[in-house]
Amino acid sequence: MAGLSGRVREVHAGGGGVKPGDVIGGYRVVSEPTNADGGKCMWAFAEKDGKEYFLKRFLEPKRPREGSGSATSRRIRMETCREFEERHRSIMKLLRPDADGAGNLVLATDFFHAGSTYYKVTERIDTAGLDSPHSLAPKQRTVLLRTLATSLRLLHDIDVVHGDLKPANVLVQKREGAAFHTAKLIDFDDSYLSGSPPAREDVAGDSLYGAPEWRRYVQGDESVASGDLTTAVDMFALGLMTHLYLTGALPAYADRFGSPADAVNAGEPLVVDERLSTATQALIAAATSADPAARPTVADFLTALKDPGACTVHGTPQPRPATGRSRVQFNPPDRSGPLPDRSAHGPPAAGAEPRKSRVRINLGPRRDGPPADRPTP
Amino acid sequence: MSTEIEKYQGNLRYAVDIVMCIDATGSMHPVLDLVKNSSLQFHQRLNEVMGRKSKEISQLRLKVIAFRDFGDDPSDAIEQTEFLRLPQQVAEFERFVTGLEAGGGGDIPESGLEALALAINSPWEKGLDRRRHVIVMFTDAPAHPLGTVGVAAQTYPRNIPRTMDDLFEQWGYARSQTAVMEQSAKRLVLFAPEEEPWKESIGEEWDLTLHFPSRAGEGLEEFEMDEIIETIANSL
Repeated sequence: MAGLSGRVREVHAGGGGVKPGDVIGGYRVVSEPTNADGGKCMWAFAEKDGKEYFLKRFLEPKRPREGSGSATSRRIRMETCREFEERHRSIMKLLRPDADGAGNLVLATDFFHAGSTYYKVTERIDTAGLDSPHSLAPKQRTVLLRTLATSLRLLHDIDVVHGDLKPANVLVQKREGAAFHTAKLIDFDDSYLSGSPPAREDVAGDSLYGAPEWRRYVQGDESVASGDLTTAVDMFALGLMTHLYLTGALPAYADRFGSPADAVNAGEPLVVDERLSTATQALIAAATSADPAARPTVADFLTALKDPGACTVHGTPQPRPATGRSRVQFNPPDRSGPLPDRSAHGPPAAGAEPRKSRVRINLGPRRDGPPADRPTP
Repeated sequence: MSTEIEKYQGNLRYAVDIVMCIDATGSMHPVLDLVKNSSLQFHQRLNEVMGRKSKEISQLRLKVIAFRDFGDDPSDAIEQTEFLRLPQQVAEFERFVTGLEAGGGGDIPESGLEALALAINSPWEKGLDRRRHVIVMFTDAPAHPLGTVGVAAQTYPRNIPRTMDDLFEQWGYARSQTAVMEQSAKRLVLFAPEEEPWKESIGEEWDLTLHFPSRAGEGLEEFEMDEIIETIANSL
């Protein structure tokens, strides 16, 4: 990937207001830049050499210009930029576009700075405009979930947590002539090594799809340490998304809670749709367990999807799982082993300066709400 | 990890503070009219957009800083409200914006940087679990350099930086020791022309800043209120 193997490529700057027709790093902007679903970014579509791309402009950090601010200010800002570049390089080294099965990961193809601003480029994915995966036939839903879980397994196999798994970060695609919709996983900018998330104020995530331990971590609950944020965080989100993709809604929880994780943290289990098969009810209940260790791995999840009835929504209520949700066993993995080396990816050392929060507040539709907005490229 | 649910701290509560800096000079009729016409519905429309984005605000406060030009008439170069809580204080908000008349301005550069400096130094909410502090600048003109025009006037703000570098330090950056805003909460949204200081000095160099170029001298007539509210909502 250009620009990530060594120094980050530097190109001519275009100023703060990007507009259609501007050329940035060789990419000609072809749509109005927007901050819709952008988090701390703006984005637009762009073209280069006849190909179409998704161009992401980071709002921070900003590289200091010559003569800008005091020497101390410039040193601090450059240090932040070096860490930013290193974090992106590290994740991109782990997530190679040529890895087996990486076809459903939408990975960066370029990373550079123009003047003070960092940009990242991925291929443009035309989505199928599918707002209601639950309206697909069961077999279609199975393929969709399988491609999503397979992409997630690629990450988890190398101990990488996506960290912001939600419908908006999954592009549903149906290639011309293809029989099935597939899921393409995007936005690895907030990924981290399992057990080594950024600091509490810095970790990204979505408050609707965030796991209970993530929720408590960002709220400063000291009983949750950084090592508690593992790939099981993604599994909680995958459990919610499975319910959403199958039924069109998240599992139910009391209105007084702002999110599924809030309900689970308060000891109130989520209520899974009874029209799902008993096995799928158990799968979702386990994936949304309060205890990360009780959640299935993504491999367990893929095994469960082999059940031909896994994605069927019945016309009548199906029996509830025989055992309590906390007793559902999927041979949970041993997540108690030594943590990965966090020297390259971990949070700043104790005593470091206050960091930014990257939490995206999403207190959103619950029982009957529609699927969350997906990027509207 | 402890599973003691009694330690659970409850739902995240989200506080949003918005400061609108509005150029109220002669050419700004279009956007001033937009703000006036939508003031009563601002809260509702913002909530509707937020709802569509699956987001919810626990507490919303709004502050307006109208600016003209200290070089033209220092007596009305700055008019501002305190933070007004919406929807409870919507009548005060409406009263203030209804009273704004687009006029004056003198030469082309205006006193937008003084307004921005006042906005940065606003008494931002420090409570609740998560906060978003957004400054929205509406102008169709460049700005006088800070501390160069109208400084001797009695109405000129006393406690704002006198140089662009000092203002930048107040805006801050990650790990800044001089920032007066919370780094994780702040955003600056510029509806401003591709002129200085908006284009390069701020739009390119300041972090967490979004610049939507406007046409110079046309009062931001190309922007619809829905688009503005959508952009604000996207930054929350």
